[in-house]
Amino acid sequence: MSAELPIVNEFNQGPISCHAFNHDRSELAVCFNTNVVSVFRNAGAGWTLAWTLAEHDKPVTSVDWAPKSNRIVTCSQDRNAYVWTLDSSLQQWKPTLVLLRINRAATFVRWSPQEDKFAVASGSRCISVCYFEEDNDWWVGKHIKKPIRSTVLSLDWHPNNVLLAAGCADMKARVFSAFIKGIDKKPAPSPWGEKLPFNTVCGEFSNGTGGWIHSVAFSPDGDSLAFTGHDSTMTVVSPATGSVQSVRTPYLPYLSTIWLNENQIVAAGYDCAPHLFELKGELWDFSSSLDAAVKKVDVGFTARDTFRRMDSRAQSTTTNDTEVHTHHQNTINSTRVFAGTREHVEQYSTSGVDGKLIIWSTDNIAKGLANMHLKTGLVDCIYENDMSRKGDFKPGYVATKVDLSARELDKVLAEDVEVCKMGVRGGAGDKESVSIDL
Amino acid sequence: MSNTLRPYLNAVRQTLKAAMCLENFSSQVAERHNKPEVETGTSKEVLLNPVIISRNDKERVLIETSVNSLRVSIAIKQADEIERILAHKFTRFLTQRAESFVILRRKPIEGYDISFLITNSHAEQMYKHKLVDFIIQFMEEVDKEISEMKLSLNARARIVSESYLSQFN
Amino acid sequence: MILLDYHNRIIEDTLKARFNPENKPKPVDMSIVDFDGVSYHLSTLDDQDTKLNLSIRWKCWPELVQYGAMDVLKREYNQWIVTPESGYDFTLQFDLENIGADPEDVIHKVSLLKRNAMAAPFERAFDAQAMAEQEDHWDPTSSQLMTIHYRDGEAIYVQNQQDRVTVIFSTLFKEETDRVFAKVFLQEFVDARKKPHLQNAPQVIYSHREPPLEIRHVPGLLDSESMGYITFVLFPRNYAAGAVREETISRIQIFRDYLHYHIKCSKAYMHSRMRARVSDFLKVLNRAKPEIQASEKKLASGRAFRRA
Repeated sequence: MSAELPIVNEFNQGPISCHAFNHDRSELAVCFNTNVVSVFRNAGAGWTLAWTLAEHDKPVTSVDWAPKSNRIVTCSQDRNAYVWTLDSSLQQWKPTLVLLRINRAATFVRWSPQEDKFAVASGSRCISVCYFEEDNDWWVGKHIKKPIRSTVLSLDWHPNNVLLAAGCADMKARVFSAFIKGIDKKPAPSPWGEKLPFNTVCGEFSNGTGGWIHSVAFSPDGDSLAFTGHDSTMTVVSPATGSVQSVRTPYLPYLSTIWLNENQIVAAGYDCAPHLFELKGELWDFSSSLDAAVKKVDVGFTARDTFRRMDSRAQSTTTNDTEVHTHHQNTINSTRVFAGTREHVEQYSTSGVDGKLIIWSTDNIAKGLANMHLKTGLVDCIYENDMSRKGDFKPGYVATKVDLSARELDKVLAEDVEVCKMGVRGGAGDKESVSIDL
Repeated sequence: MSNTLRPYLNAVRQTLKAAMCLENFSSQVAERHNKPEVETGTSKEVLLNPVIISRNDKERVLIETSVNSLRVSIAIKQADEIERILAHKFTRFLTQRAESFVILRRKPIEGYDISFLITNSHAEQMYKHKLVDFIIQFMEEVDKEISEMKLSLNARARIVSESYLSQFN
Repeated sequence: MILLDYHNRIIEDTLKARFNPENKPKPVDMSIVDFDGVSYHLSTLDDQDTKLNLSIRWKCWPELVQYGAMDVLKREYNQWIVTPESGYDFTLQFDLENIGADPEDVIHKVSLLKRNAMAAPFERAFDAQAMAEQEDHWDPTSSQLMTIHYRDGEAIYVQNQQDRVTVIFSTLFKEETDRVFAKVFLQEFVDARKKPHLQNAPQVIYSHREPPLEIRHVPGLLDSESMGYITFVLFPRNYAAGAVREETISRIQIFRDYLHYHIKCSKAYMHSRMRARVSDFLKVLNRAKPEIQASEKKLASGRAFRRA
């Protein structure tokens, strides 16, 4: 398969809630929105199920695979996390319960770069930073609690193994120190601060308009932090320069973010396609969608299929239904680095609610970019005239008709304002409604 | 489609598209529970501002969103007594079949005729863009169906009365 | 089937079989019902299979008798009338060995038993009006309001006036839907008469809740949202003696059932329509569900099926 095209793995086992690869990408841990994690092995001929990690009794929310120590950590809505180690003689994964001491769902888990700690985000308004206690032979958690006022949705470790970024449903992205005495060595000073005892808040940011922070990601050198909010913004903060840049996009919110290198960020989410943000000079800006939209070709429908569709869906093959012309057909909820280094990502993987896991190459970004920029320009100009197409259009499209009259356009523009307001949180949950009269 | 209907449905479609961004979110209040936050309303920070889109004083849509669930309530056009009866019968008919209409709320929100409750698991089992299609199509067809039923009732009444009275000739 | 029959189909069919000389007389004991709470009892005498009794029970019977029902019934069925069976109001007895007339005619007549019993007040009113018309001076006291409480809570009022006879139905709509539908139907009845080819039809007036002037003084009228009053104004041309009169009487009697029948039919139609629409909606919703690509198909033996 050409490197240009994304590699699509379709498991057909339901939505994928999270995924993680092992160090050489020959094994893959996936959770299909259930209480078990399936570990697949790729022996060249596709993914085959090798193990099933069943210990949780509620849906698994996150999984991470430590590349060097080959340990898997999983966490779930049952409030627990397990560290799984492979017993090489039995070829079995052995779970070890982690003392998280949280009383609500665990939502997100990540190993620290040194793999001697991991952090678990939770709905009990805290982050549990876990480390191995030799004396008692167990993993224990230490809580970061202080200013967190709602469920923590995502985490990312700083490369120095001490700082931890957290995106939270209280509309703040924060950077904490997760320094554990006896495990960590005193970190070198960074733009985030010099003296860093546990639970130091090194930064607290919001994206201006508000909105839950769905994802956080440190830049490769750790000096900047990118985070995405439910108001469809991508914000990059660099404490060294004090710059805080929010990029507002006309798309749906992003759920997951990774840095490809110091100048490029990929974010993916409800729009079903990874989007590229680039540093242009001093400014971050939305660049393009990385999913070159392709018209889905109806292939392989037998007469029987056609009639079955007509029967159960009252639908013939020609239909004017909305189609999503991306590889992912539903929300992407996880993006991970697949190949390359932290400083230079060569391939990344996305998994989503549609049950697909797609591996994208970053080669084609450079190759296709010139071409794409051209098309983006075109699409931008359509946005100015036809806001109703928002979301329908991905760069890479060539729009053929702009069919709104000026009067309708005004109305649609008014509506567009409302759509944006959806993302804006006013006074939390107050019943202040916005009316649009048409 | 009439001229005002199109922008109306368009506004609803765009709003729904934005509102359909749901994720799996377990309760912060009840341990080991996962409930539609828009229904429980116990964690205020995960609720968004509700939006009302109205075409006129009778037809409007209320869209309430939260982090893991979305409630769409529709007020159906009811110009006269017959339309009111028909709309009521129709929505009741649907509500009784809520079992198969997984996204239908068994009881509409006060002031509206029918409510849908879409949770993150619905958005996971189904394509979210098609769910939006469904609601838009529902809104279009409910109006059409009610006016067609009204016409058919009038037609029947005319035939019935004429055939009765013509016997007297 | 838009119009309803006036006669009782079950009686007609049963008698046809019984009166057929080819069939051997057999014992029978049947309860038959008709519109407006009428019940019939068709039975053979205990010891004689050839003697067939037909009895009728109707809650408004005493009223009908008061308005001269016996005269009409005697005219129609004289030779078969016997003392009423206990628990019933009126009984006819047939001797299968000697029916006494052309069986076809008898059967037809008998199947119209309810209609004939109810015909009396109408005939009386028509006659009274005809009499009044011949006299020069109209005496308002000769106008008689006859009330037949033929159903629970519903009645027919028949009144003769100088130049017309007014028939008023009071009817109950148990459900709001019925009431609303009835409004649509009755409005059409009112409007239909404006059509040129229906000019000869009696005038129809509909009022909801408010009783018409003619019966406003009658005590015990239910004042409720669910009450409706339908007035037919019949002119002499509508009841010219002979076939026209007979037809008119039959038709007017059946009006209430005709109206309610069509209301129910409309509701049933709406229901089936909604059912179809709902299943359509379900199909639209199904479109949102991803089509799971069929995983490996298995043969009955359990082995995987592969298309060559």
